[in-house]
Amino acid sequence: MWKSLVVAIALTAASGSAFAASAVNKDAETRTLIVTEGGGKTELALAAGETVEFCPNGCFVTLPNGDLEALTGSETVEISGGVARIK
Amino acid sequence: MFFRFLRLLLVLALVVSAPHSFGAMAQGLGQAPAGLVADQQKILQGLMTKTDALEKKAQADGVDDTTLVDIRLQLEELSREALNSALAFRSRLSEINPRLEQLGTPPAAGQPPEPDIVTGERQALASEKAEINAVISSAQTLAIRINALIAKIGNMRSELFRNLLTKRYVLSDALSPQVFSDAQAEYTNFYRAVSSWLSFAFKFKFQAMLAATLMSLALAAVLLVGGRRLFGRIFEADPSVEDPTYLSRLSVAFWSTLLPSLAFSAFLASTVFLFNYYNVLRGDIGVFLNTLAAVIAVVFCVNRLTNAALEPRQPNWRLIQVETGPARWLVRLTTAMAVVIGVNSFLSVVNDKMGSPLSLTIARSFVSTIIVGVILVLMALLKPYKGSDGSWRPWPAWLRYTAIVLGLATIVAALFGYIGLAIFVSVQVVVTGTILVTAYIGFLSAREIGEEGGFAGTSIGRWLSANASYEDTALDQLGLVVSVAINVMIVLVFLPLILFMWGFQPGDIQAWAYKLATGITIGSVTISVTGILSGIVVFIIGYFLTRWFQGWLDGSVMARGKVDTGVRNSIRLAVGYAGVAVAGLVGISAAGIDLSNLALVAGALSLGIGFGLQNVVSNFVSGLILLAERPFKVGDWIVAGDTSGTVKKISVRATEIETFQRQSVILPNSNLINNAVGNWTHRNKLGRVEIKVGVAYGSDVKRVHAILLEIARGHALVLKNPEPFVLFTNFGPAALEFEIRVFLADVLNGAIVQNDIRFAVLDAFESEHIEIPSTPRAEVKVKQTEAWPLDDDKIEVEFAEKEQAEAEAAAEARRLAKSGRKARKPDPS
Repeated sequence: MWKSLVVAIALTAASGSAFAASAVNKDAETRTLIVTEGGGKTELALAAGETVEFCPNGCFVTLPNGDLEALTGSETVEISGGVARIK
Repeated sequence: MFFRFLRLLLVLALVVSAPHSFGAMAQGLGQAPAGLVADQQKILQGLMTKTDALEKKAQADGVDDTTLVDIRLQLEELSREALNSALAFRSRLSEINPRLEQLGTPPAAGQPPEPDIVTGERQALASEKAEINAVISSAQTLAIRINALIAKIGNMRSELFRNLLTKRYVLSDALSPQVFSDAQAEYTNFYRAVSSWLSFAFKFKFQAMLAATLMSLALAAVLLVGGRRLFGRIFEADPSVEDPTYLSRLSVAFWSTLLPSLAFSAFLASTVFLFNYYNVLRGDIGVFLNTLAAVIAVVFCVNRLTNAALEPRQPNWRLIQVETGPARWLVRLTTAMAVVIGVNSFLSVVNDKMGSPLSLTIARSFVSTIIVGVILVLMALLKPYKGSDGSWRPWPAWLRYTAIVLGLATIVAALFGYIGLAIFVSVQVVVTGTILVTAYIGFLSAREIGEEGGFAGTSIGRWLSANASYEDTALDQLGLVVSVAINVMIVLVFLPLILFMWGFQPGDIQAWAYKLATGITIGSVTISVTGILSGIVVFIIGYFLTRWFQGWLDGSVMARGKVDTGVRNSIRLAVGYAGVAVAGLVGISAAGIDLSNLALVAGALSLGIGFGLQNVVSNFVSGLILLAERPFKVGDWIVAGDTSGTVKKISVRATEIETFQRQSVILPNSNLINNAVGNWTHRNKLGRVEIKVGVAYGSDVKRVHAILLEIARGHALVLKNPEPFVLFTNFGPAALEFEIRVFLADVLNGAIVQNDIRFAVLDAFESEHIEIPSTPRAEVKVKQTEAWPLDDDKIEVEFAEKEQAEAEAAAEARRLAKSGRKARKPDPS
């Protein structure tokens, strides 16, 4: 019985886990991302050194330098020196 | 997850297939992959056209709920595709951006000009980036538009539902004699359609139809016979059982509704499928047949359920204790209601397909809702119980009034022309009622199984206890698990069914499930069911892995390596705590909870811990120190303050000590760390035992010393090295005091040795005529019993008793030897 239980649990564990994109602000000042998710745009203000999870299902992001990028929801956006990099 | 994975694959494929070689990059990043922008533009154009088409369709077909749901699902897919097409630029952008940084800003006025090639490349890259940005922006606009459309469709659907319920029809038009001729005409049409299809099928598709019919009949036979063979015992009421338990009645009712309904539905579905497969169906006939099958399935299910719950033929299997006559009537009335609703929905499909006038639809709905309302009121007025005086009693008030109100509401709504509302209510009463009652029966049986001893009484429980030697408590726990599982299953099966009934579409539920699985965002916190579940699952896996590793390390590695039990215990505990802690941390991070947030909470808590939980924490830390330092281990004989005994268990907060009176003392670990702890068996079990002996003044002390030393040396358990020693301790007030000091290999044998030596001393002093003075010695007059005459009988009886006692002692010793248990040593103190 245990064996089958363990197998079942392992399968369930393998089949599901949650992700969200995260944004890190490594600058000393507040940076703003504009996130388009669902039907609306929201401004995501990141204080200095803050990390925020957002956009679990994919979204569009306007980066501080005006570039527009699409995210699937598993990336990390790193802002340093006013420039954002997607990893 | 699957979609996410697909998306990931797509992105990967795009990245891999992007036609960039390393060499090309080295030469200053070449040109854009031929037509990436154009490709995506084309794709987006296609998506936009599709969106336009869907929007138009939604406006045109705004009256049909199913189409709207379908459109919404397609729109959601389009939104995902738009995002994907924007994602395709990721790799290109990640090449352009660093290159632009490398090129730097154009030189300001007054600075030396840069080479033309640099300027040219910067301009080319910048313009390409602008193009890409434009395309992504259009994808974004498209996504926003699609989401707005999805929201609009939601509004349209709720509007539609409100309309359905509140629309009023003029009954006087619908109920004119014109209706009869309309009905006549429609019947003729329907008859013609069916008969023409039948003649067509007989002429051209006879073999196919025969094959399909025969195959579905064969399947029905297999389901019927096989199902009865396999599950017959579960769901057939056995008339020979006098007084079936509540649980068995419940399970019979539940399964005898569920299994035959499922089998019957499978049979109907396969019939429709086979007819479709052989292309026997034509035009509207397929729709008619589908509806007919659904209607028959519902009527069958309702009939099975009422029969199972009321058992008109077998009063002792009846679930609801009504009298036989009313039970029969209830079954008839419910079945009639189901038939009316079924026929009505079948006719509505016929009306739809035949394009019959609205008046006919209204008349049909009017009649059927009135009938359902009347049946409801009749059922409410039925008197199902018999009182002790033989008079008939009605239903409980709440049930009676609910049914009457529902029935009257249906009739009144129909009479005022709110046909949509009336139909909605009557269908809900039949179908939702059936589903709810089945689910309720399931819940009840789950509760019964969860009761103490409930599971052991079921056939599975009996089988398990007979074949798998489960204990009663284990069976009870298993019963609890089963009952929880049944509850979950019922919710999983019946909740969607009820939602369907209440007008939700499969698409709705699918979208909810998707949302629930990927997470609901509240503020900046994302809660996702799968996240939390996977966290729990990861923790459980970690926990069992730890337990397994612990067991393996302890049982296989350390036991074989002849590691000391105390060390084994320490390592086992440490591994256990570490494993559970790691599993907890991994589980929390798998649940998607950021550990850095927890650190914040821990920081805030540490102040509180400093004050409030001081003792607990100090005990905890002390426990860890005890495990690491091991001043004593399990099985040691320790003395801590007033407590003396063997250590039974060292846990994180406290240590359990069993005194020699078998009292368990729980000592907080901090006591054991902060205060002196004596351990008799720390490095070894070597220990010294002292026995005080006093002899009378005037005795030959040299002789006494020699005798005592000889006795001490002569004992088998006394060590030769360190040598036993006899100390002439004191010229006491009453005696010359000696002390025998002997060392034992195992101090736990102290009591035995002391005993033996004292006996030996007494014997030796007696034979050497050495007095042991005692002040004050109690004067006891020993009454000498007469030795003569001997009573032969008494001696014989005493001898027999002695024999028997010896035999019993021998048997006891044998039994102990057999069971492998050693006779316990006396406690050392």
